[in-house]
Amino acid sequence: MASLIHCPHCGVRPSQEFSIRGDASVVRPAPDAADEAWHEYVHLRSNPRGRHREHWHHVAGCRRWLVVERDTFTHDVFSVTDGAAVAREGGR
Amino acid sequence: MTKTYISHHPLEGRIPLDPGIRAVDHLEVPRRQAIVTVMAADGEETAVAAALTTMSEPSLRFVGPGEWLVVSQSETPDGLLRRSLSLVLADTAYVLDQSDGRIVLRLSGPNVRRILAKGVAIDLHPSVFAIGAASNLLCGHISVNLARTGENEFELIVTRSLAESLFDDLRLMGREFGLSVDFSG
Repeated sequence: MASLIHCPHCGVRPSQEFSIRGDASVVRPAPDAADEAWHEYVHLRSNPRGRHREHWHHVAGCRRWLVVERDTFTHDVFSVTDGAAVAREGGR
Repeated sequence: MTKTYISHHPLEGRIPLDPGIRAVDHLEVPRRQAIVTVMAADGEETAVAAALTTMSEPSLRFVGPGEWLVVSQSETPDGLLRRSLSLVLADTAYVLDQSDGRIVLRLSGPNVRRILAKGVAIDLHPSVFAIGAASNLLCGHISVNLARTGENEFELIVTRSLAESLFDDLRLMGREFGLSVDFSG
């Protein structure tokens, strides 16, 4: 059975309705930041075994960006939050 | 004379001129239907939702936060619905006519939930998906807006370019129940 994601706007949906962008923990550096910071932001990603926060786009549903916290090993989903709410919390 | 998309229904060649006997499970295709998209301006979501729910006739379909499809049975798709909504919602929302870009398919009958279950992954039990509920979802591989308009009646709104594919899929899904199809209106 497909992984089920509990979209805060649409309810429980199969993962096929979503498009996954990747790590949600990286933050875009300032435009004048050092090359190392940009290199890290653009190219370097950790590949954790366990809890991970990712950006998921509900393409076939409400078309909102969501932040999904899940376990990459067991596929357990711990939380799903609207991306805008997460950004607001982070003061962005 | 300018020829608009509204003047030609994409399923015109698919539905036989003589549709035959109407079965208990029926797929009805409204020929002309006014559909508009309403998107609330930033921060005006609750005000727009309140204004839209007070209107009686056109039915409201949830798409996402601050976004709805408004479907009217009585108004013709010549921009009237868009104009009247624009007046009501003036500075709080963006209103776009979708009548020539979206197609409505209406499924009704006692087996309609079993037909839809072949393509739709959500729970369609009335305790979960009640009358008046609507949502964007995948039907097979096609993104549609599904709404429950009655106990055994659902409406699917699909983009014009995918209407033929969805129509074929629905016919296949309904074949075991002898689903009949016809235009209406």
